[in-house]
Amino acid sequence: MSTASTNNGPATRPFKTSADARTRWERFVPAFGFPILNRFFLLLVSLTLLALLLTGYREIAGLGPASGMNDKFGWGIWKTFNVVVLTALGSGAFSVGVCAWVFRRRLLFPLMRMALLTSMLAYVCGLCLLGVDVGRPWNFYWVLFPWRWNLHSPMAEVAICMSIYATVPLLIENLTPILERLWYLNVPLRPAIETLEHVLHKCFPFIISLAYLLPAMHQSSLGALMLLAGPRVHPLWQTPLLPLLYLGAAAFMSFGCVAGTTMLCCVFWRRAMDMDVLNEAARISSWIIFGWIAVRILGLLVVGSLGTAFHLNEFAGIFWTEMFLIGYGGWLLRGSLKDQKWQSMWLGYLFSTLGGMLYRFTPTTLAYMPGPKAIYFPSTIELLVAIGFATAGIAGFLLMVKACAILPATLQEWRDMTSYFTVHEPFVMWKQYLNFGFVDYKILDNADLSRSYVKTNHD
Amino acid sequence: MRTDVGLTRRELLTNIAKAGVPAAMAATVGVKAVEAEESIPAPNVPLGLLYDATLCIGCKSCEVACNEANNTPADTDAEGLHEAPTDLNVFTRNIIKLYKPEGNSPSSFVKRQCMQCFDPGCAAGCPFEALYKDSDTGVVRWEGSRCIGCRYCTITCPYSVPRFQWRGINPLITKCELCSHRLARGLKPGCTSVCPTGAVIFGPRPALLLEAKRRIKNNPGRYYQDRVYGETDNGGTQCLYLSRVPFEKLGLPELGPEPVPAKQLRWQRRIYEYFALPAALYVGLVAVIRKNLAAHEEEAHQLEKETGLRPQL
Repeated sequence: MSTASTNNGPATRPFKTSADARTRWERFVPAFGFPILNRFFLLLVSLTLLALLLTGYREIAGLGPASGMNDKFGWGIWKTFNVVVLTALGSGAFSVGVCAWVFRRRLLFPLMRMALLTSMLAYVCGLCLLGVDVGRPWNFYWVLFPWRWNLHSPMAEVAICMSIYATVPLLIENLTPILERLWYLNVPLRPAIETLEHVLHKCFPFIISLAYLLPAMHQSSLGALMLLAGPRVHPLWQTPLLPLLYLGAAAFMSFGCVAGTTMLCCVFWRRAMDMDVLNEAARISSWIIFGWIAVRILGLLVVGSLGTAFHLNEFAGIFWTEMFLIGYGGWLLRGSLKDQKWQSMWLGYLFSTLGGMLYRFTPTTLAYMPGPKAIYFPSTIELLVAIGFATAGIAGFLLMVKACAILPATLQEWRDMTSYFTVHEPFVMWKQYLNFGFVDYKILDNADLSRSYVKTNHD
Repeated sequence: MRTDVGLTRRELLTNIAKAGVPAAMAATVGVKAVEAEESIPAPNVPLGLLYDATLCIGCKSCEVACNEANNTPADTDAEGLHEAPTDLNVFTRNIIKLYKPEGNSPSSFVKRQCMQCFDPGCAAGCPFEALYKDSDTGVVRWEGSRCIGCRYCTITCPYSVPRFQWRGINPLITKCELCSHRLARGLKPGCTSVCPTGAVIFGPRPALLLEAKRRIKNNPGRYYQDRVYGETDNGGTQCLYLSRVPFEKLGLPELGPEPVPAKQLRWQRRIYEYFALPAALYVGLVAVIRKNLAAHEEEAHQLEKETGLRPQL
């Protein structure tokens, strides 16, 4: 820990010194002091309840009356949007995680809990809706019988990998903040929790590796799904690189989702933004974006279907919309690295993510041509259910962010939280962690935070 | 209306042909192509249909016979009067369509049902082998107890044949299974048992292929490209087509001799061969992450000592 005793004091990031300790993300801190139940939350929950009610109708009446799906378009937005698109948004645990833990971009650690949470919610909501969407869900138990797996089928990979991924590695990884909350709030439970954490840490290398392998497989297999549709998918999308491009799109979309959502939370709950971390994320994200664009164009050149991008039709329009959104997003991200404007960084994430969402959606629906006169438009019930399962994820996010330490924050924020809890919930046992509880505003105003804090702690 | 006589003359021929199947199989191109593809074992006796569009008069008795054989209700119009399906659907596993172009170009009927491909896209995509190729007859069959109803088969079939039941709480996938339940009783498929002109005949594929080639030879210029659709198309199909008009006009796309699943999933299949690559990747990941995690934990505990803050891993 040689760097730990530099001017900025001991940070949880000993490898990098930030210019300003007041914006340095060093702890995960819940969005404390805000009621979980508010009007917006109730709106989200009621939309979800409505969706659950409508799924009851779908189960009884069948898919036909409840949705716009038909013999030509066998798949509707429940699969093509809630599963194919939204789980790509929720690949943060994979993409941010691989950068942080495999390639050791340690600046990204503060984003990991956001990544894990968004991933879990996106996958759980997507899988639940998949259960509603499939016609014979009671046969899903075959997932447990490997000799029945058709390993040559992309659909099998998706079904098996996704359900294992969401139920084992993601849930276990997301236990950490929940156990932490229990540790702070239930003193008698602490020994048990510490034992459990110890066991978990022993298992983590295996679980985390699984958590990187499985999404790499199924996010690419989601692209491979449409390979089998052959010429019925427009040649601008139907290339042998489709699985790789789906994986790449998931990578930059999830960076956008994780970093963009974190920034939004910082603005909304008035927290400091650590530009070191955000710059790192934006840098990586922009490189993925430019690499992705290059691979896509090169792939189309090799296959020889780039020419169709210059035809005057709706497919070329969709293609250029995707490319513009993704490319402009990447350009904004690069620009934000220079001028340090978080606004343009956020817009960069927004555009590139929207472009990625469109790209993931198009081959399954917009560029899928199952025959002349084939039309699909989601029915009202279908839309409401799709929305309801997405709002369930958002509601779960708000709940978790307020109840558990998910959002990255400064030490100052951590201290504010401890002060808040000592006043508002004095029964919470903070043990030795209280000794830096109340903030000494004089010290705050005058001196370096971390330094003063170390002094008080060691006195 | 249809009497199930024990053995007709054609069935007798069929049985004779069955006996000579191994020899005949070796003589046909399509089967050879499939034998070269290791992952798909060739069926013992690939049974199929030969549909000659030039003989079909569009009487649709095969549709009615199909309904009767498979116990599916008639797909009637709004008045409930006459059987009028516009396409294959959950009640209609077999349909006669008409291709009628503008002007004086020849028109043609076409019978559509499952092609019983040698490398079926539906089975290639089916996650738990609910759709599978019968190892004896090569018929692509559906096993409801393994189907999760994902409807991927409706997307992967290059001929858009499998249909999903959109209503009810226990939806089924329906497609022509070549009346396998009748074959087991020694009966022909429903459609072939009633065709008045012999436009559709049933038999082992090698025998049907020889018959189709004989017709092409005896009637030069009658058939489109003097070609049997399904001989090599999509890696070979067990149902064969002869037609006067281009096959594409009848909804039979030109897919080339390589089966769609083998062509489209070539890289996918190589990557997942024996699951070796993912397994190796996993081992590597564990090694790297174990190292990084240990370093991270050490840092975190060091910081805990220095700061008194409980580590947040």
